[in-house]
Amino acid sequence: MNAPTGLDFASIPERIQSEVQRAIQRSIKGVEYFSTSGPTLGSTPKDVLHSRGTMSLYHYRPMSDEIYRVPVLIVMATTNRGYILDLVPGQSFIEFLLKRGYDVYMLDWSAPRPEEKSLRMEDYVLDFIPDCVRRVQQDSGEQDVSIIGYCFGGVLSLLYGSIHKDGPMKNLICFTTPIDFREMKLFSNFSDRRYFDVDHLVDSVGNVPPEMILSSFEMLRPASRTVSQIQLWENIWNDEFVKSYRMFDRWATDTLPLAGEYFRAITKDLMWDNKLFNDTMSVGGRAAKLEDIKVPFLHAVAEHDHIVPYDAAKHLIAKIGSEDKEEVMLKGGHVSLVAGANAVKRLWPKLDSWLGKRSI
Amino acid sequence: MTKEINDPVAMWQKMVGDMEKGFNSFANQAMSSPEFSQVVNRAGGVAAGAQKQLGELMEKYLVTMNLPSREQVTALAERLQSIESQIGEMKSILSQMAASSGISQSFDEVSRPPRTKRPPSESGEQK
Repeated sequence: MNAPTGLDFASIPERIQSEVQRAIQRSIKGVEYFSTSGPTLGSTPKDVLHSRGTMSLYHYRPMSDEIYRVPVLIVMATTNRGYILDLVPGQSFIEFLLKRGYDVYMLDWSAPRPEEKSLRMEDYVLDFIPDCVRRVQQDSGEQDVSIIGYCFGGVLSLLYGSIHKDGPMKNLICFTTPIDFREMKLFSNFSDRRYFDVDHLVDSVGNVPPEMILSSFEMLRPASRTVSQIQLWENIWNDEFVKSYRMFDRWATDTLPLAGEYFRAITKDLMWDNKLFNDTMSVGGRAAKLEDIKVPFLHAVAEHDHIVPYDAAKHLIAKIGSEDKEEVMLKGGHVSLVAGANAVKRLWPKLDSWLGKRSI
Repeated sequence: MTKEINDPVAMWQKMVGDMEKGFNSFANQAMSSPEFSQVVNRAGGVAAGAQKQLGELMEKYLVTMNLPSREQVTALAERLQSIESQIGEMKSILSQMAASSGISQSFDEVSRPPRTKRPPSESGEQK
């Protein structure tokens, strides 16, 4: 919905008429907006293969007559829900993969319970992911598994891949994955070790509340929420705009709490000491060096990513030890890279052409 | 050469967009300062401390009222989680046994397509 930038005086009556019609539609649709719920998200048919505390492993039911030999395990970011990759039919990354013949599994997260505050980085990297990989192997009957990690799910996948050098990871794809945490300037400043007492926070609250996570994301663009609400009102006559707004707004505000010990490790090891970038990272006493990842590797980054700026992600490709590796920068932001109308045209076909020939 | 904007609606939209960018940029600059981090974290630390004290006070109150404390509920939740995990394990073992003995499950092996897919460039398919 783009308004014309110039105005022909002869068209003024039509323009006024159009604006009056939109004003009437706004009133009608505005009432509808508050009296209806948004579209149903994450509805692609799936089975829960395994569930344990904060972790759930889904298997999506295939949608093509034949599938690639190598199954795909998607590792979702621990701060957000996986349905961003399965919005609605036609705008679902999962559905796209299924229709292109991939056998898709997802490691998704729910809010850690109070008693899960003691979950550590080790639990995620040395237990949850390997457990899911084993179950994917069992369920699919295949030894090889390709892994796709989104945002911090990419960081977890990198840690997993660098520690489990001998497989069974066949391919690794990361979407918007930071490794140089100094370059996440605002997050770095929020967690400045001189002023941010992470021990006090974690010891006081246990799990880090979702409101705090959401606020820190929103503070990166403090005016954007208000502006998006103005844009919603302007475009509330437009059903497609409203549908898209509701999907993304619901997902963005559906932030998960983070397990306390896990958050402590992220703050100290990654935000403060930048260990992944400095090649000094270890998990459970096991060294995690990116150069030890030798499998085919694809990193997709977004040109206008305000959450993971390119400077925080750009060194990943050089540090990975694989010979077969590629970085692709696409137009879009942190979320529109992977979901929505732009992703349908840009990232998804690119991923399919890269992964298909490596999945046989 | 910039295009002149005469349409008031387009002008309004441009103004809102420019304001958003300007405010975000200004706020980001302000939030990049160590002083901002100090102030925010001091406030956050006080809030976390207050939350902890309130939690302890509530626990004492619950004990007085002869109601289960948070720790007791948490212990129950842990036991429940342990039971859930064991059920999950049992389900997994049963699925494996069913698979090995040929018994069909909710989404059975029969309905799984063969893993013979080739990329379009190899199989000659149109993309």
